[in-house]
Amino acid sequence: MNIIVCLKITPDPEDLEVGRDGSISTERAEWTIGGFDLPALEAGVRLVEAHGGKVIVLCAGPAEINNSKIKKDILSRGADELYTIVDESLRHAGTARTAAVLAAAVQKLGEVDLVLSGEGSADLYFQQTGVQVGERLGWMTINAVSQIEVGANGALAIQRTLEQEIELLEAALPAAIAVTSDIHEPRLASMREILKAGRKPTFEWSLAELGVADLPETIDILKVEAPPRVARKQVMIEGSPEEAAKALLSHLRKEGVL
Amino acid sequence: MDFRWSEEQELLVQNLEELLHKEAPESLMAELDGKKEFPYKPWQALADHGILALGIPEEYGGVPADIQTLTLVCETLGEHALPLGIIYSLGIITIRDILQFGSEEIKREVLGGFVQGDPPVALGITEPQAGSDAAAMKTTATLDGEDVIFNGQKMYCTLSHQARYILLMTRDAQVENPYQGISMWLLPTDTPGLRFNYLNKVGWWTVPTYEVFIENVRMPRKNLVGGMNRGWQQLMANFEIERLALCAASLGAAKAAYQDAAAYANQRVQFGKPIGSYQAVQHMITDMAVHIENMQNYIYKVAWMMDQNLPVRYEHAMCKLYVARASFEVIDTAMQILGGLGYMMEHRVQRLWRDIRLMRIGGGSDEIMYNIAAPQLLKKASR
Repeated sequence: MNIIVCLKITPDPEDLEVGRDGSISTERAEWTIGGFDLPALEAGVRLVEAHGGKVIVLCAGPAEINNSKIKKDILSRGADELYTIVDESLRHAGTARTAAVLAAAVQKLGEVDLVLSGEGSADLYFQQTGVQVGERLGWMTINAVSQIEVGANGALAIQRTLEQEIELLEAALPAAIAVTSDIHEPRLASMREILKAGRKPTFEWSLAELGVADLPETIDILKVEAPPRVARKQVMIEGSPEEAAKALLSHLRKEGVL
Repeated sequence: MDFRWSEEQELLVQNLEELLHKEAPESLMAELDGKKEFPYKPWQALADHGILALGIPEEYGGVPADIQTLTLVCETLGEHALPLGIIYSLGIITIRDILQFGSEEIKREVLGGFVQGDPPVALGITEPQAGSDAAAMKTTATLDGEDVIFNGQKMYCTLSHQARYILLMTRDAQVENPYQGISMWLLPTDTPGLRFNYLNKVGWWTVPTYEVFIENVRMPRKNLVGGMNRGWQQLMANFEIERLALCAASLGAAKAAYQDAAAYANQRVQFGKPIGSYQAVQHMITDMAVHIENMQNYIYKVAWMMDQNLPVRYEHAMCKLYVARASFEVIDTAMQILGGLGYMMEHRVQRLWRDIRLMRIGGGSDEIMYNIAAPQLLKKASR
């Protein structure tokens, strides 16, 4: 089974600097693999470990993703090959254009059974790109998947976790699946895998090579800013558990929470 | 000079930090310390993630790593879970001795087990009357056909009850020069005739130490490590790296204490201002940072020299002397900044304070480091 995992490389959310006006600066942030995407990579690697094939990682973004440490990080976590599509125009690309680029890359690679992505990107978390890739490929597309197994008939046995229920589905391949963050805990790489990562193949494609150089943006992102900071009330509640519970309820009512 | 780490080293440390957050969190290390228990589970996690394989040849299940990388591992362990850094450092000398001098059979057995998660091989050198003067040891090895029979007593034999083996040093009293009469043996700790007496100590509670009584302990002669009566020279070959590893773990511990103290200085308000705004505390913070920077530079330099196969005869001793003192000073200052909080058993700084004190004694005391360095410095100056 050949599996493509789409990873978004983003500024590390822990390094973001929020200005007094709510502006967000990524200038001093180190770039890293999106935390929501690592479970997708782990899911892909486990399927290949169990059923054979290979895991190919696909990343699209600006020049910052062309970072050899990040590439080794990805490849040390079990991926076999890495393809990057690097273009400045992808820095603020909307989900539709990103999905079109990724879908074009999947088609160019060919012989792919499954495309996996995380539940959302670590920066804007639109939760759109993975399903749009599937739609563009015309494949069975499912999101919110919390378990994937390969059935005896070769189809995927899937568990989909929704707000009120869990769906058990069977999906024929090829398919595009967006997984939840709790599908698997991402593995930590050993030094053996880190050393091996430097010897694994990496490739770079341009938008022109994929035939998607002139795609229009379908949405404009006008502004991204942090919500206003609210000063903490710093109310300390004392007394017996019963008194404290009553006081807590009273405060919550006063604040309009209840 | 290039002080940057390689990408592989950065990724190794990043993954190791994540592993330690998960498998050896502060809460667990504090709990194990309170119970005085060896950290079996975190140690196994290090094995499962290939950390114990570092620096061991691939044919024994290891992964090649230079000394700078091993130093970074010790530093990271020291920063997040000091006992693991100590245990790892103690293992370095015995593992290297076995690697360098052990028979193929011994290497396969011991190194293979270590990579899989066995506790390190304990070092049986100190005796009641033979500490820094190791040549005064009295434990004997009497040959008897294909066997050897041991008699004697070892002191401060750390991890000997947890380990599967002791690297036992014995003395042949017939040889006049004591340094030419010491042999090194691999002694399984389940051999009949061994008795372990637990020793209470100020720190290192999760790294237990024992007095070992050896009474007519019989073992095959093939467990000799290296040459007969070559044990002293063999042992000395790897003391330098053990000391460097202990230095790196100490540096990590100092960094942890510094972080606690600096965070507290920013947060603790007295007389209406954070205590970090007072000059007295600012000086302490700066002195701690200078010590940390110096320790780091010294350790990395010695590690680099060792990787280049340059001699570090006095450099390693000076580095150990400096780091053992500086790390204690940093942690002691951290306790000063934390005040009463740092002295409470709930705070990790008290544990670091108790644990780090041994660095001035174990692995060669401060005074022995002077003894190693000074003659060589004077000899160099006389040229």
